[in-house]
Amino acid sequence: MSVPTDLHYLSATDQAKLIKSRDISPVDLVKESLARIAAYDDTLKAWITVDEDLALSQARKAEQEIMDGNYRGPLHGLPYGVKDQIHALGYPTTLGSRVLREEEMVPPADATVISNLGDAGAILLGKQNLHEFGKGGTFDFPYGQPRNPWNPAYTPSSSSSGSGIAPAAGQCSFAIGEDTGGSVRGPASCNGIVGLRPTYGRVSRTGGVMHAYTSDTIGPLARTVRDLATVLEAMSGFDPIDPLSADRAVPPFAEMINGGVAGMRLAIVKEMVAPGVVDPEVKAAFDAAVAVLEAAGAEIHEVSLPLAKWAVPLQLLTADADAASWVLENYLRDRYDLFDVGTRTRMVASSLVFASTYNRAMRARVIVRKQILDAVNSFDALISPTNVSPPKPIEDMAERVDNKAEVVSRLIERRICHYPFSLANVPALTVPMGFSNAGLPVALQIAGRPFDEATVLRVGHAYESLTSWHTYNPELETTLKKAS
Amino acid sequence: MEVSKEQVRVLSEMQGLCVPDDELEQVATRMSIWLTAFEQIEEELGEQMNKVDPIPPVLPHGEIA
Repeated sequence: MSVPTDLHYLSATDQAKLIKSRDISPVDLVKESLARIAAYDDTLKAWITVDEDLALSQARKAEQEIMDGNYRGPLHGLPYGVKDQIHALGYPTTLGSRVLREEEMVPPADATVISNLGDAGAILLGKQNLHEFGKGGTFDFPYGQPRNPWNPAYTPSSSSSGSGIAPAAGQCSFAIGEDTGGSVRGPASCNGIVGLRPTYGRVSRTGGVMHAYTSDTIGPLARTVRDLATVLEAMSGFDPIDPLSADRAVPPFAEMINGGVAGMRLAIVKEMVAPGVVDPEVKAAFDAAVAVLEAAGAEIHEVSLPLAKWAVPLQLLTADADAASWVLENYLRDRYDLFDVGTRTRMVASSLVFASTYNRAMRARVIVRKQILDAVNSFDALISPTNVSPPKPIEDMAERVDNKAEVVSRLIERRICHYPFSLANVPALTVPMGFSNAGLPVALQIAGRPFDEATVLRVGHAYESLTSWHTYNPELETTLKKAS
Repeated sequence: MEVSKEQVRVLSEMQGLCVPDDELEQVATRMSIWLTAFEQIEEELGEQMNKVDPIPPVLPHGEIA
């Protein structure tokens, strides 16, 4: 087998084949990743901490194991990164914040997902940049402003920003992020890669510093659906330490992605493609994606989720309030000034939600969730754009809360594709579906029944197989030169 | 619901927080936005909300029938 020159942009699946056949060594691949981090991360700022020596030592160990005939499987020797909200021994957990003292950043143990991926032979390169504490809306990034590899003047989205940038920039084979209200799907969409919010309970939360316990979900980001399915399989599973981990068998996801969409019933969520809500460029790309699925034999329907709009305020009144109660008690009172202004004003507001409002909002979540569950149970999958608009310039990203006129509807519309599936805790996948006129990626979202990631991945893989969007990669030499 | 800067100041102090004056308005605006939305939710769903329990959607052992 010949070794391609663009090893870094091969799918993880193809990289694994080369490792298995011993055409390349894990050391080659890790060195390639480290070289690309060194070359481009001064601008992209995808990474907070990288330990070259540790990564190379793990790569040499993997190389030896494979040479000895002990090949562990399709993640053996593949380099990855993790959002710096998830503990990994040997790396400080910064939470992308100035708030923590050095001793507070020391991880107590590997997160369960890190252990699981380590058992599969994957090699951790380091910790990836994020919005402070995994909340969105950070203005001032202590570890540098993360930038979109397709155009560094544009946002890579929040909050798993580095985990979206790095696989897109060929700096690692895949990444692990965390999605409370779209923090995996947003960065995957904006950076032109694949991302999954798994069903709540599919992946252990142990070792993640999250605290919005009703919505926090750790999820994978990768360059293809097959890669993502392989990673999901390795990282998932029951964890007795996490009381909310589901004791269910983990299906062989990568073996279940074939089969196509012929005969499948897919439903477009009306409120997520409404005129005035979705940008015309995104709508055009979405219509084209739907046409591809229909031509492949899928039955296309429409479903209305009139209560979906309430997912946004309900999540902020409940999940944000849960996170704020932890932040308040541990940091906000005595380290207020160390927080980014976006985080601290959001956390103060959420900490002031009355218990009676929280209780009522949790009741409303039950009702809104039932509408979403009824819909996902009536079709094979629901489809929508992942984001209602293409990635925006970084300077336009600050969320203005000074003008109250129509602000409720504007803030709801911006998040309308993400929050309903977070509120319902169902699986939601994003796959590239084209580019905006400015050359930034836009994406298709596919949501499904609880614990039916297999169907969601199958639809995503079918679409990916019929299109070429996932094969495009940012030309970093060109895009970064343009930026400078 | 309109939340004022002064109300935020008092509530924050009750929580042990000292929010600078120039940030009180931002917090008040955030709270006003979401509580206004919640008033609309109560109006639309209030009756139904009285008939369900506020169970978190974290159901490792399966959905509640």
